[in-house]
Amino acid sequence: MTAGDVHGAAMEPSPFLIQSKKLTVWLFIVADAATFGAILFGYGYLRFGSPNWTRPFAFSPSIINAFVMTVILLTSSLTMLGGVAAAREGRRADAMKWLGATVLLGILFATLHLREWSTMLHEGWSLSANPMGGSVLVGATFFSITGLHLLHVICGVIAIVVIAIGFGTGKLTAGHVETTGLYWHFVDLVWMFVFPLVYLLNLR
Amino acid sequence: MTTAESSAGPTFRMYVAVWLGMIAIAAVEAWLAYMHVSPHMLLAALLVLAVVEAGVALRYFMHLKYEVPLLFWTLIPALVFAFVMMNQFWADSARMNSLRFPVP
Repeated sequence: MTAGDVHGAAMEPSPFLIQSKKLTVWLFIVADAATFGAILFGYGYLRFGSPNWTRPFAFSPSIINAFVMTVILLTSSLTMLGGVAAAREGRRADAMKWLGATVLLGILFATLHLREWSTMLHEGWSLSANPMGGSVLVGATFFSITGLHLLHVICGVIAIVVIAIGFGTGKLTAGHVETTGLYWHFVDLVWMFVFPLVYLLNLR
Repeated sequence: MTTAESSAGPTFRMYVAVWLGMIAIAAVEAWLAYMHVSPHMLLAALLVLAVVEAGVALRYFMHLKYEVPLLFWTLIPALVFAFVMMNQFWADSARMNSLRFPVP
């Protein structure tokens, strides 16, 4: 019998039948989704409301690079799922391998993204400059949206490293790995909107 | 407290199938972008595909399909409502420019 089973007990069982840390991450995800939603809606109106909007992305290298980044991020979600499954089953070494692969894929994604940024910055793009002569909002929205997403990726990589070390040393549980995985899948989910809306709608 | 540490989920083979499906959707999106359709039609098509992809990610990768339905009904309708409101009011905000008092 648990505290929640006793009539009038101070603690009740969760109506969602999940741990409080998982519910906390879900609430964070909903709030963060609203943030990304607001930015993407704002971008959408600027994109279709600006008569001098320029379209900077050529098939090679921009779209190929963005598609490769999409595949990398989707694959990192798959490796994260492997890590969560291994952690649940108590296969600590396997979980560490899967989480390590997820971290490497996350770093690869961030590296490709920063390389793209570097190329664009050298071409003269910035938050307030458009080397193609059109609206400066192109660079402003691109760097804002992808920058916020990249920040989430970097935070996710750090979180997975911390959680993996904690799980590997026995200080953290499979539940911690699962909640971190939930966040990582959300980062992947946001990219599913960034890739078509920011890249594919702006083909040169 | 007797909350579940984790809920039962699909097999890894199903995850791989979902992963392949999501890559296929991304490829279709890229292909569609090179078809000669109007920008608004392209936007609509890309949004539909992105929502489908996100729905699959929510259900399978984020395990929402395997949680109690109350979790879905608590979180997702409120988020969708917020997006609908953004869609309504962001466009309306452009009207604010014409509502300003003239500078004396």
